[in-house]
Amino acid sequence: MSLAVDRRVTPVAAVAAGKPESVGGPQPLRLRLWRGRPLASAGNQRAGVVAALIPVGAMTLVALAAPLLATHTATGVTTIGPLHAPTFSYPFGTDDIGRDVFSRVLYGIRESWLGAIGVIAVGALFGGLLGALAGAIGGFVDTVLMRLTDLFLALPAPVLAIAVIASIGPSLFHTLLALSIVWWPWYARIVRGEVRALASRPHAEAARLAGVGRVRLVVRHLVPGALAPVIVTMSLDVGNLILALSSLSFIGLGAPPPAPELGAMSSQGLEYLFGHAWVPLAPAAAVALLALAANLIGDHANRRLDKG
Amino acid sequence: MSIIERRPALEVEDLHVTFRSPAGDVQALRGATLTVGRGEIVGLVGESGSGKTVLGLTALGLLPRTPHPEVTGTVRLDGEDMVAASEDERRARRGSYITAVFQDPMGSLNPSMRIQAQVAEALGGEGEGDQSELIHELLAHTGIPEPDVKARCYPHELSGGLRQRVMIAMALARNPRLVVADEPTTALDVTVQARVLDLLAGAARERGVALLLVTHDLGVAARVCDRIAVAYAGKVVEIGRAAQILSRPRHPYTVGLLASRPRLDGSIAGGDLPTLPGQPPDPRSPAVGCAFAARCPVADEQCAAPAPVVLEEGRRCECHRPGALETWPLAPLRVRSGEPVGIGHPLHVANGSIPIPALVVEDLECHFPRPRRHPLASAPEPLRAVAGISLRVPAAGSLAIVGESGSGKSTLLRAVVGLLTPTAGTITLGPGASPQLIFQDAGASLTPWMPVGAQISERLATLNVPRAERAARVASTLESVGLPAEVAAVVPRKLSGGQRQRAAIARAIVVPPALLACDEPVSALDVSLAAQVLNLLCELRATLGIALLFVTHDLAAARAVADEVAVVKEGIVVEHAATEQIFISPQHPYTRELIAAVPDLAEAA
Repeated sequence: MSLAVDRRVTPVAAVAAGKPESVGGPQPLRLRLWRGRPLASAGNQRAGVVAALIPVGAMTLVALAAPLLATHTATGVTTIGPLHAPTFSYPFGTDDIGRDVFSRVLYGIRESWLGAIGVIAVGALFGGLLGALAGAIGGFVDTVLMRLTDLFLALPAPVLAIAVIASIGPSLFHTLLALSIVWWPWYARIVRGEVRALASRPHAEAARLAGVGRVRLVVRHLVPGALAPVIVTMSLDVGNLILALSSLSFIGLGAPPPAPELGAMSSQGLEYLFGHAWVPLAPAAAVALLALAANLIGDHANRRLDKG
Repeated sequence: MSIIERRPALEVEDLHVTFRSPAGDVQALRGATLTVGRGEIVGLVGESGSGKTVLGLTALGLLPRTPHPEVTGTVRLDGEDMVAASEDERRARRGSYITAVFQDPMGSLNPSMRIQAQVAEALGGEGEGDQSELIHELLAHTGIPEPDVKARCYPHELSGGLRQRVMIAMALARNPRLVVADEPTTALDVTVQARVLDLLAGAARERGVALLLVTHDLGVAARVCDRIAVAYAGKVVEIGRAAQILSRPRHPYTVGLLASRPRLDGSIAGGDLPTLPGQPPDPRSPAVGCAFAARCPVADEQCAAPAPVVLEEGRRCECHRPGALETWPLAPLRVRSGEPVGIGHPLHVANGSIPIPALVVEDLECHFPRPRRHPLASAPEPLRAVAGISLRVPAAGSLAIVGESGSGKSTLLRAVVGLLTPTAGTITLGPGASPQLIFQDAGASLTPWMPVGAQISERLATLNVPRAERAARVASTLESVGLPAEVAAVVPRKLSGGQRQRAAIARAIVVPPALLACDEPVSALDVSLAAQVLNLLCELRATLGIALLFVTHDLAAARAVADEVAVVKEGIVVEHAATEQIFISPQHPYTRELIAAVPDLAEAA
């Protein structure tokens, strides 16, 4: 498993690079001088929304309802003994100390999914605020804030996580904290770039000429334009974060045992891959499913908002 | 001559194109008929939404795939059907039979390929030895200086005019039967426009290549075309020899289109350009009867039926009452111009009698630093965008600044309204609210996610108008620019181009400024809409005593709104005189060049 939590350049770059919503009634015809991938037709488009929403909705539901769905507790030892193969009442079998893997996976999904959303919310809020400030004020403030952002961008997440956990002890919350610290700079960059690009556009100049005050100009005329790329980034980030969280707990930097963490479960169960495959594969499959669901909605949001 | 040789280059018959989308079907073409003979130059003129571009794209076989187009009717290229042809067959015909020149040469050229490689591609030769001789010849033929040097350039190293010449060279490279040129000169400066247009037409004639020139500007078509076709609501409503169409139009729409164009011999700052009332029919609703009937001054009950095709004197017209309208009736003006406006207006009176000028600019200089060539180089001379301009706009006066891109006219405007700080010189504004600016692209000048009303009332808020009064002020202002009050609740995207420009004007005048600066306010608008906006500006000047500073590249538009014209070139005023004087006896050679470049209908007809 890769430790890399640095993120690929997403198609958001295209949005962030200054292609804000095109205003205008009928869009000009796009000329197609070469053959490209035919875009989804109308029927496909609606199917696309549903296809993207169902997995995400299902995962959220599972995350919220995990205590109700779980047949056992996450940490309690069951009566059928360790490394029991899947049965009807133990769909994913039991692990090496006899805990119900199904229930542990459900709780693991809950922690990963909600944790990822939490980190992203914190990152978008804090980063967005800083980015908006830097973009709106400019000059010295911009330089200072952006160099600060670069500083945090340069920190590798695992190293930071090790530092945080070494100093304040291992827990899921501390892992999330460490991830939040390395995650917000991306949002600061996106919002700052968007706000700066929008500030030089005619609508912002017109608002300035109309006598609109600085704060209102930023809040009403600039920041809403940065929402689309931020939303796209957020939705694509869920997948990245779930992988990052799992990677960190895989190498032992996540919630300490016996907490049901998907990455940690896969890692600890790895020795049973041959013979008792359900132990590592069930949590690994859950990670894959979560990341897939998140990326589906991210891609969808990207396509929708990019089209404007 | 055999029958085969007399086949026209392009035959379009009863062509329907409908774009199917979940938001509703859009009927872009509803039975268009058009023929382009061998070696003939036909202008296809229409406003946005008339279907002119779709017709050109259908002929090229380049309709967009989404929304899904449904094509019925006939398009024959040199006798061969393009509608039924497979994509491969169409591609084979493009390049050899039919080629295209589009509006934006930068978008049509590959930014990462040298010019010569792209022209070689257009020649269709792949590794057939050295083609550079041929390429240089082609480039030289389209008036590109130093073709051997330019051939090694990348597109971004060439000016807009040169890029479009490269496109023309590529389009003509294999001597196709037909070139479809869609707004080929719209993005270029006026003087360049005229040269490129003449060159395109000349080269096509010389090689016997037929040309379908798609344009919104009748003047452009008048300059070079043998025949002119007028498109409206997805049909070609009239087609005939250029001189006939221009001097004796038969279809009322053509009459209106001709009338609403600002003319070089029209009245000065009169605000009396004839305008077409209403809007074109919604392409989403099925057509019943004559599509123009709702806007037609001579429509009667028979116009509820589909318009018949009338053939006479070698021209074709789809109208129940061809020739019934000879001159477009003038709309009753709310305010007649020519009255002594502004003078005596309380805002502008100081010491009882002498009005304070709305704007005095003295020795204005705006410099922009240029980047160093390399880090150790000494700083280069700054770009002097405005290099010493002095102007005066009297209270409620109207001054047009005319010049081409790069002349510094927009920089001047931005300095005047306070969007940039001048390097030197003084700007003195008259009393009253701060100057406002009308942008070229009204859509971009309105914040896309805010309702129009909220944007207009922002100006009221900054001037401490009580909240309770704002909505009423917004509504009355919208009405004064000819928009319904409901527009206040709508975001700009939902408005048409003309409505957006009116909304932008409403914001500028909700608190009347002493000076209204306009940066090419109509150059992005259709002819009939442009006329309405020009009239509106004249009217506002008369009723509210607002002085206008009107920047444009279009002398005819300047004539329609301004008492005085200042011609700027390279940051200085080369000629400044009363509007009439500029047209009667232009002194500076550049002014004469600008006047000559305006495509005028009178001489063509």
